[in-house]
Amino acid sequence: MAGSTGEPMIGTYHIVVGILLGIYIVLALSLNIITGYTGQPSLGHAAFFGIGAYSSAILSTRYHLSFWVAFPLSGFFTAIVGSMMGVLSLRVKEDFLAITTIGINFVVVAIFLYSDFFGGAFGIGGIPAPIFFGYKFTKPAYLVFVTGLVLLTILISSILLRSWLGLALEAIREDEFAAETMGIDTKKFKIVAFTIGTGLAGLAGSIYAHFMTFISPGDFSFPLSITIISMIVIGGIGTIRGAILGAIILGLAPEIFRPILEYRSLLYGGLLVLMMRFQPNGLLGHESFLLRRISLIRKQSVEWMKKGSGNDAYT
Amino acid sequence: MLRASFKSLGVLLGVLILVMGTLCVPSFAQETIKIGFFAPITGPVAADGASSKQSVELAVKEINDRGGIAGKKIELILYDDRFDPKEAVSIAQKLIGLDKVVAVVSGSYSGPTRAVAPIYQEAKIPMVAAYAVHPDITKAGDYIFRQSFIGLVQGAAGGEAAAKLLGAKTVSILTMDNDFGRTLASSFRNQVEKRGVKILSTDTFPMGEKEFSPLLTKIKGLNPDVIYNTGYPSEGSLIVKQAKALGIKSKILATEGIDSTIQFFGIAGDAAEGVVITTNLNRDDKRPVVQNFIKNYKTRYGPAPDMVGASSYDALRVLANAIQIGGTKPDAIREALAKTKDFDGVTGIIKGYTKGEVLKPVQVQIVRGGEFHYFGEITDPEIITPPR
Amino acid sequence: MLLQQLINALVVGSVYALIAMGLTMVYGVLRILHIAHAAIYALGAYAGLFSFLFFHNFLIAFLIAMVICALAGILMQQFIYLPLLESPRIVPLIASIGLFTFMEDLYRLVAGPYILPFPVNLGFSGIHFFGVTLTSHQLLILVVTFILLGFVWLIIARTRIGLAWKATAQDVETAISFGVNINKIIALNFTLGSALAAAAGVLIGIYYNSVYPAMGSVPAYKMLAIVVLGGLGSVTGTVVAALIIGFAETLMVGYIGFILPRDAIAFIALILILMFRPEGLFGRVNR
Repeated sequence: MAGSTGEPMIGTYHIVVGILLGIYIVLALSLNIITGYTGQPSLGHAAFFGIGAYSSAILSTRYHLSFWVAFPLSGFFTAIVGSMMGVLSLRVKEDFLAITTIGINFVVVAIFLYSDFFGGAFGIGGIPAPIFFGYKFTKPAYLVFVTGLVLLTILISSILLRSWLGLALEAIREDEFAAETMGIDTKKFKIVAFTIGTGLAGLAGSIYAHFMTFISPGDFSFPLSITIISMIVIGGIGTIRGAILGAIILGLAPEIFRPILEYRSLLYGGLLVLMMRFQPNGLLGHESFLLRRISLIRKQSVEWMKKGSGNDAYT
Repeated sequence: MLRASFKSLGVLLGVLILVMGTLCVPSFAQETIKIGFFAPITGPVAADGASSKQSVELAVKEINDRGGIAGKKIELILYDDRFDPKEAVSIAQKLIGLDKVVAVVSGSYSGPTRAVAPIYQEAKIPMVAAYAVHPDITKAGDYIFRQSFIGLVQGAAGGEAAAKLLGAKTVSILTMDNDFGRTLASSFRNQVEKRGVKILSTDTFPMGEKEFSPLLTKIKGLNPDVIYNTGYPSEGSLIVKQAKALGIKSKILATEGIDSTIQFFGIAGDAAEGVVITTNLNRDDKRPVVQNFIKNYKTRYGPAPDMVGASSYDALRVLANAIQIGGTKPDAIREALAKTKDFDGVTGIIKGYTKGEVLKPVQVQIVRGGEFHYFGEITDPEIITPPR
Repeated sequence: MLLQQLINALVVGSVYALIAMGLTMVYGVLRILHIAHAAIYALGAYAGLFSFLFFHNFLIAFLIAMVICALAGILMQQFIYLPLLESPRIVPLIASIGLFTFMEDLYRLVAGPYILPFPVNLGFSGIHFFGVTLTSHQLLILVVTFILLGFVWLIIARTRIGLAWKATAQDVETAISFGVNINKIIALNFTLGSALAAAAGVLIGIYYNSVYPAMGSVPAYKMLAIVVLGGLGSVTGTVVAALIIGFAETLMVGYIGFILPRDAIAFIALILILMFRPEGLFGRVNR
């Protein structure tokens, strides 16, 4: 598979795009746990991505901890802050919560920008690459690691979904009041959802920081939160496959539209509007257009196989 | 249920492969000299992205109209980074791996530029940053050059201008909270303290801020000789305008940040009269290269060019010059760049590069009659030489 | 000095109230967070600017801007929001954000990325009293805001339409059963709210002499903080919250300086107050 100059077609560019895509997928899946499963609108997810990134950056540049220590610690710190937001969500509901989470995003970024501890406007640079048995991470190594993180997140999401925790969260999402009367401790579960969701985002932040080698407050601002939530809504909120597809679409969109330069934001905004207008349940959400198509094609091919050979042995 | 998930994942995979396929770009034979360029063409700072892009395109066109470099035309491969470091990183990989450029000009801010400097360094592709100020950018390595003044130099030049050219005995610093503002403010402070000037107050404001009356009212009470304002056109113009509305008598000294002709004069109106700035473009410079640049830019695009434009124009020309001397191999380009001496640039006679940092005099301009004019120059080597 | 800061704060708060009012009105009836409202605000500034450059008359430009924005609001309502009324609330929010992004970039493509000046000279340089300066533009803002908000208050409190509006905001089904024409109320909402945003856009445009594509970004999210603080859907609450935020920001900046960016201040105020009153200052306690 070589191009006209004999170079391999899958090069560093694709690997880097893959790494960033993987990080987006983790972010989408982790938000899905909070907003998709538990129904708590969180519009400030980028803040937790940032907390994870900054934690890892500070732990490795200032305290010289190895990535393998900084990584889990960052997830842990972020989860702690996230659990506090979970507590906040007990008091503040729905639309109020949505706006509050926006506020959290703004405040967190403002703190990064104005506090010297976090490097202020200069950000934090020189974040070292992880070292694996004496070897520094190469781009492909990052890809492998990120893929692992993606699989971990999918695993956690699936387990969550199919466990009693997942059932409880779904009950809360559908009707919180009813869930409470049934004896479900909604408080505890909400906090758990936030803790897990934000913790995963923190882990994504950690690997992001080491990959980019340099982070600044603006990397974690509100527009990124919007992108993340748009991903799960476009893909189909509450579903793993939806979060992944949404992340792929919106993550690749800048790359695909790159040739059209001038009109990218226009297309991006238009895409969101059209998607919401005509497919509000998401592409792969429950009862979506695409899923119906797929099951139709499947049915048709089974019919064809039955008819075509005239041999009942195939059915 | 599980089968449905597998089917959907299969669909996802199919989509992914299809899409990856479209991302592969066939490479053509080397007929042209490919130079990469990235800038924030959409997004919150699109104005500077536009300035940079237009100036670079003008430079390329002029060179190509004259026959190119050694008979080969320059092919400018440009991308929009939307003021996002992540995009700059993807762009860098694309330029290096797919488009196979021999050199790159960064028309972007410090955030994206800094994120990609190590990437170009590692790939041994020379990059010239037109106007990004973060000190760490050139520290990425010897393949990275900066066309505009490092913050330290410009801030110090500002301090010198305040003390010597404006004769200030007291100053108030009103600085922006981003890296640009902070770097300039701190070196300004060091320089004026060296010259025995007293700093009456230091205040910070966020980028994008519009309401300066509270801070200005406070400064009015202190009555400094000079107010040092590090804002970009949006903030800086409003500071100037609101200061005049409040009846502040202090002289206002600003920086290249405010050097954006249509925006600054448009917003500040006649409050701009008398404002002094440190910058890189001397509009009164008699040299043909400057006057032609201003004239051609105006003819082609309408408004007069600004600091970002001038820096970007020079960034490309310095690069082209290096290619002319050194050939089209990236290593040779880097060497020629490092050896640049007394280059006739729009932004001054570029004496050379020290560890990637440019060495040239700082221009001081004053607003007279709604236009920038020559007011002075800072040439003291102690001030303008970038730190080793 | 304090008096001057208070005047500044009043001006800032008034404009916030003007912009936030449209947002509250839409939320009150449709329960939608209409972020694209900020794009209408910017549209008002652009429409006002170009009308002014064409007709050389400020009043005409002002009115044209309001009309154009009212139309834009109705179009949004018809084609984007009404079809999405049955969807989960996150859907119209994302659609609104998409629309906002789209329009901002449209402004950049049509009018250019540069900040355009909006030079309207009001003929007098302002008034001075007790050592305080009130510029002509500041005076204009206070006067216009007072008139427009007063107008809205009159409609809501004293007319039958206003009564119908309040009924709809409280309980849509009951309102329908009482014969309220919901579609008319919704349309009125968007028209009025968008026209107010247009007015704010023009006023800000001339006050800072700047009109640029991203100008909507600044109010977009802060307005959300304000309407939530006031208690979503409460008209009085919005005005009070807008003034509180205006004062909090100005006084903090004037006396302590920018320890955090302005937007962060608004949100911190919001979070603190929500801790004590989770329904906002004047919000209804829902169960």
